[in-house]
Parts: sequence; C-alpha cells; structure tokens
Amino acid sequence: MTLEERVLNVIEENLEEKAEFNVNTDLRDELGLDSFAMVIIVNALEDEFNISIEDQHYREIKNAKDIVNALREYCPDLKEA
Amino acid sequence: MKREDIFSSLSIDKSLANKYDFNPYYCCIESGLNDPILIDGKEFIDLASNNYLGLAADKRVIQAISVAAGKFGASMCGTPIATGSMILLQKLQKRLARFVGFEESIIFPSGYQANCAVFMSLAKQEDLIIIDHYAHASLIQGVRLVGCKVKPFLHNNMKHLRKLLEKAAEYKRVFVVTESVFSTEGSIAPFDEIVKLCEEFNAIPVIDDSHGIGVIGKTGRGILEEKNIKDFNGIYTASLGKALANAGGMISAKSELIEYLKYSCPGLIYSTALPPPVLAGMEAVLNIVKEEFSILSERMWRYKKLISGCLIDSGFILTEGQAPITSISVRNVEECALMAKLIHANNILVTPFIPPSVPPNESKIRMIAGANLSEKTIDKALNIFKKVARELELK
Ligand SMILES: Cc1ncc(COP(=O)(O)O)c(C=O)c1O
Repeated sequence: MTLEERVLNVIEENLEEKAEFNVNTDLRDELGLDSFAMVIIVNALEDEFNISIEDQHYREIKNAKDIVNALREYCPDLKEA
Repeated sequence: MKREDIFSSLSIDKSLANKYDFNPYYCCIESGLNDPILIDGKEFIDLASNNYLGLAADKRVIQAISVAAGKFGASMCGTPIATGSMILLQKLQKRLARFVGFEESIIFPSGYQANCAVFMSLAKQEDLIIIDHYAHASLIQGVRLVGCKVKPFLHNNMKHLRKLLEKAAEYKRVFVVTESVFSTEGSIAPFDEIVKLCEEFNAIPVIDDSHGIGVIGKTGRGILEEKNIKDFNGIYTASLGKALANAGGMISAKSELIEYLKYSCPGLIYSTALPPPVLAGMEAVLNIVKEEFSILSERMWRYKKLISGCLIDSGFILTEGQAPITSISVRNVEECALMAKLIHANNILVTPFIPPSVPPNESKIRMIAGANLSEKTIDKALNIFKKVARELELK
C-alpha cells in the first residue's frame, strides 16, 4: 500500500459516516470535520505510523496530501510500497 | 493589539439571522412554561423546552416553592460547605442519590458547573480521558481543563472505544466519558456495554444523564435503571433543569468519593448553593414522579410518536432517536434557518441547532413535547407541521 493509500484508509476508518473524499479534500471545510473529529484522525494516524503529532502541526493539516507530505518530511524512514 | 481592535475582533457573525430576518436565540418568553406560552404577546406551542414531564409550572410544585420561600426566604447566601448547607439541600442530596441508585450525592448550581468542576478534582495530567465525539460542551470543557491526554471516540461506537482502551495501558488512570441521551438527536448510549468495557480495562465510567433522569428507565430513574446497571462503580452527573424541572446539577458516586469531592471540588465549595425554593421545587417534582411517572411518561412518548409520525408522513427527514425527542435533519444552516422561521411564524417554538452546537453539516431542528401539553395542542401542532411541509414543498 502506498503512503497515500494508508493515510486515506486511516481517515476513512475514523469518520462518523461514510463520505466521498480524496487527497485534496479539505477535511474541515469540505468534509465538515469538527475539532474532535480531527483529533480522532490525528490519534489514529499516531497509532498507524507510531509517531507523535504536535498540536501546531495538526492545525496546519488541511487535507490528506498535507498529512502525506508531513509524514515524508518528518518520518523519512517510513517505507513506501 | 489595541483595545479597540481586541473588542472589534470579538464580534459575532449575524449574517444568517439578518438574511432571514429571524433570530431564534434569546427570544423573550413572557409566561411560565404553560400550554400555551407567550412570546411578544402571542400564544406559542412550547416544543423547545426540556420540560419533558411538564412539571415546571405544575401547581403542586409552585405551591411547594412558595411555602419554602415563606419559610426560608430567597437564599442562604452561602456555599454548600458554609451556610448553603441547609436541611432542604441535605435531604434532597440523599433523595436524589437514592433515586438514581446511590447513597450520596452533591448538588451544584448547574449541570454545566458540575461537569466542568468534577474532572479537575478527579483526573491528573498523567491520565487519559476518552470521551464520546458528541459529548456535551460542559463535559468537553471539563475534560480539557485537566490538561491530560484527551481522546474522543466515534459516537456510540464500541469498536472504536475498545481500540482506544486497548492502547491505554501506559496511562495511570483512564476515564470513559459519555452522555446517556444525546439531546440534539435523541440517541441513547449503549452504556451497559461501556460499563463492561470499563470493567475489562479498569477504566472509570462517567455518565452525564441530564436528558435521561426523569425520562428513561421504567420508573424514570434514568440510564442506570434503563440499562439495568447495578452497583455502578463510576461517576454519575445530571442537570436538574430538564425533566426534573428546576435547576442545578448533581453528582453521585460511591460515598467515599462524594465525601472526597465535598472537600476537594472548588466548583462546589466556592459557589453559592441552590436557594431553598428551588430545592423544595425539586422535592415536589420527585414526589410527583414517584406517583405519576407512568401516566406522564406514557403521554410524553405518545406525543413524540404522533409528532414524529406526522413529520415523516409530511416529508421531513428525521434523525433516528430512541428518546422522547424529535429532530428534523436539515441539509445546512440555511435550510435550518428557513424551516425554523416558518415553524416560528406558525407559533410553534422549537430549537434550531447549528454548528458549533452540532457538527458541521448536521444542523437540526429539535422538538420535545412535554406531558403538560394537551391533546388538542398536539393536534394543532400536527396540522401546523403539515401546513409548513406544504409551504416548503417537501412532497
Ligand atoms: C447533556 C447535558 N449536560 C449538561 C448540561 C448543562 O446542564 P445545566 O443546564 O444544568 O447547566 C446540559 C444542558 O443544559 C446538557 O444537555
């Protein structure tokens, strides 16, 4: 699985309801996630990638692409299939 | 930042209210919760208050309040640890505790305050609080004040809760916080399952039963009765301003814990106790609940079914709720404003919920029909909903 797919999977599994989205979908404005919904996703990402995401980073996250880019930047050791 | 800039940055966006020339919030009600209520001199059907059993303006309750005011005056002008600690408060704390299945309870000036105050006294920075995504603002604020790790779980989702508990071993204490009846939509938490999970993972369950006390359970004793939970080893909180039709907030737990909170919870110790007339009003409500719950509750449920059935038949989309709450699901805040305005123009008072009270894209219009309303009033409301549906061209 690519990093992108893994991130999209984590988001999908941690939504209250099924929704259509892709790497560019704005999680707050388009997917309508509130602050707790974002925390749920960030916690799940922390578990999935065994990392710790600081508050200031997660406020900068707008969409899945931002997450993938941040993972590539801060966790260069992550294996990409 | 200049002072003028600070103040001007603190303004509210009222464009929606201006666009529809309608603001349902902070409306000025000129009567008690009667059938009908009065707004701007006009008669309205009250489907907005949390007066589930319809006891807020019951003559017997009013009489008890008057007698207590005559005997004890307006206030004891002291906090519960000082002069606020009077006979009516002590009696009511015991009675409420027994009502929901404990020996002891403490009463705060409000449910919000109880929820805000309790976590600071129980949890520490090294702890973990797991909380339902849709928990009430007072619980969220309360848990955030602790400064410990907070992990929300997907609403009523036991699989997700279990997953979070499985990863909680590194924390000293773990709390699982939820509501019984989620009041914007009327869903009920699977609290028996939550209690079992807490037992399995040695976590402390915390339940806010504000919309459950006096509403669910065979005799109105709330969520613990409803889910047949015995010897509950957690923390129970509830507002006393909903079905119990007065004001205040209670916390119940094992006696030692209540004793601890009595001397350690700043939100209790440093805030003026509820005044005697309110305490007497509560006592009167509990007397009525004891005798008449089955009649009142039967009426409350029947009204809910009538209203929900009529709305569905008329083309409204409802959220699926198991409580005596009916919520119309609307697509967005615009539709919410338009629909609420139309209903209001037809003299029914309802509660529109828009973000941040509900998640984005989940605006709702909530209705609670209290048992004080007459059959004739409900009939009238149903006809109004049919008319509104036609005006909105729902079908
Ligand atoms: C679930 C819930 N908890 C707590 C509160 C706050 O209680 P109170 O109004 O007594 O402050 C409310 C609403 O008011 C509520 O709906």
